Amino acid sequence: MKTRFFSGVSILVLAACATQPRPPPLPNAQPSTTPELAAAIDADARRSDHEPDAKIRADLAAEAGRDADTCLAREPQSAACLYGGAIALGLEARAHPARAGESLTSMLDKLARAESADPNYDEAGPARVRALVLIRAPGWPLGPGDAEAGLDAARRAVALRPLYPPNLLALAEGLAKTGDRSGARDAYARARDAAQALPDAADRDEWLREADQGLKH
Amino acid sequence: MTTLLAASLATLVFCAPGYPGGTGDAQPLLDQFAAAAAAVSGWPAGSLGAVYDPTEEGGLAKLAGGDAVLAFVPYPFYVEHAAQLHLTPLVQADMADIGPQQRWTLVAKSGRVTGPASMTGYHLLSTAGYAPEFIRHGALQDWALPADVKIEFTGQVLSALRRAAAGEPVAVLLDQTQAAALPSLPFAAELKSVAESADLPVALIAVVGSRLAPPRAKALQEGLLKMGHTPGSGDSLAPLRLRGFVPPKLPSRTAP
Repeated sequence: MKTRFFSGVSILVLAACATQPRPPPLPNAQPSTTPELAAAIDADARRSDHEPDAKIRADLAAEAGRDADTCLAREPQSAACLYGGAIALGLEARAHPARAGESLTSMLDKLARAESADPNYDEAGPARVRALVLIRAPGWPLGPGDAEAGLDAARRAVALRPLYPPNLLALAEGLAKTGDRSGARDAYARARDAAQALPDAADRDEWLREADQGLKH
Repeated sequence: MTTLLAASLATLVFCAPGYPGGTGDAQPLLDQFAAAAAAVSGWPAGSLGAVYDPTEEGGLAKLAGGDAVLAFVPYPFYVEHAAQLHLTPLVQADMADIGPQQRWTLVAKSGRVTGPASMTGYHLLSTAGYAPEFIRHGALQDWALPADVKIEFTGQVLSALRRAAAGEPVAVLLDQTQAAALPSLPFAAELKSVAESADLPVALIAVVGSRLAPPRAKALQEGLLKMGHTPGSGDSLAPLRLRGFVPPKLPSRTAP
C-alpha cells in the first residue's frame, strides 16, 4: 500500500503554494507584455486555489500554460516567464494528477532557471516555491519530494527576503518536515511577527492563520 | 430495520503510515472504492463508508471506533496490531506495480555490515519502523538483529539512505519499490543490500473483531475477489494502484 497510495492526489496542494499577491490583469484585456502575462498566470493560479470544479481548474491550467508558452516565446530567459511557467506546471499537476510526476520535474527545472535568472523575483519566489514543492511532493522513489533539499531552498529564500512571511512559513514547514520541531516553532513565530508588522490585508490574515496553526502543533 | 441501520454504519479504515497523501486528498478515491466494493458484494448502496488516516496513531484511533468494521492496512501494520485489534484477514491486495507480495531489503554502508552482530548500536530506519515486531520477526526473521538496534519510523527514506551512505551507523529497510529504485541514486555505490525478506503480503483487508456478521463478511470477500475481473469493477482500483484482490496467504506465524 505503500504503493504510491494517493501519491498523485497529494500533489493537489502544490499549486496553492506557488502564488503570491499581484494586481489582477485588466478585465477583457488580452495579456501581451511579460508583466501582463505573469499577472494573468498568477490570477489563474489564485482562481484555481479556490475553485472546487475540476473541469474549471483544468481550463485554468490550460490557460495559464498558454500564457506561459507565450511569455517564454517572447523572453525565454526571463525570471518572470520561467517562474510563470513553473506556476502553470503546478496547475497542470493539480489538474492532471496522473501526469503530476512529469509536471513537477519540469516545474522544478523552471524554478531552478528562474532562481538563476533573478533569485529576488516575487520576494525570492523561485526558491520559496521550490522549497514547498520539494517539501510537499511525495518523496523518493515515488516523486521528486526531498525534504532536506526543500529546507535548503527555504533557507535561501529567507536569506534573500527574511521578513517576507511566506518565506518564513516555508522555512518552518521544512524544519517541521525534517524533524526540527523547535526550529519550526521559532520560524512560525517569526512568520507571525513579520505578518503582524504588515498592513491589514487578506494575504496577511492567511499568513497569520498559517503561522498560528503551525504554532499549535 | 435494525439490520439496515447497522449496515449503514459499516466503515472501512484505510491506514498507510509513512506513505504520501492526506486525508482530504484520499477521501474521494476511498468513497469511490467503498461504493464499488459494496455494489460488487451485493451490499446496499451507501452501506459501506471509508476513511483514511496516514498515521499509525490516527489509524488505531479510527479502528477503535465502533463503526470501524474493516481495516485496509499494510502488512507491517497488520503484524503489529492484528492481535490487539482482533483482525481476521479477508483478502490480500494485489498491487498494480508489484503484485500481492513483496520482499523487503536491508541496506547499509558498503563493507560495514557483515552480519547481524555487526549492527550492534545501529539505528534501523524504515517506513515500516512503526512495526518493530514485523521487522524483527517478519522481514528479518532470518537476520537476528542485536537487541540494542534502535528501530525507528521514517517517512524520509532518502535522508536515511544519505545518512547510511555517509557512514553513520544507520541501516535502512526498504520495501520492494524503494529497493528497485536504489540503483538510480547517485550514491548507490556507497550502499549494499545485506539481507532480504521472504515474499510477504503487501496489504490486507481484515475484519475487526466480530463487528461484521459472517454472511456479510463472506459476501464482501467474494465481491472483493471479483473486483478487477468484471467489467467496470476496476475503475475504482486504478487510482489506488490496485489491480484487485486475492485470497489471503500469510506466513505461518501470522496466519489467523
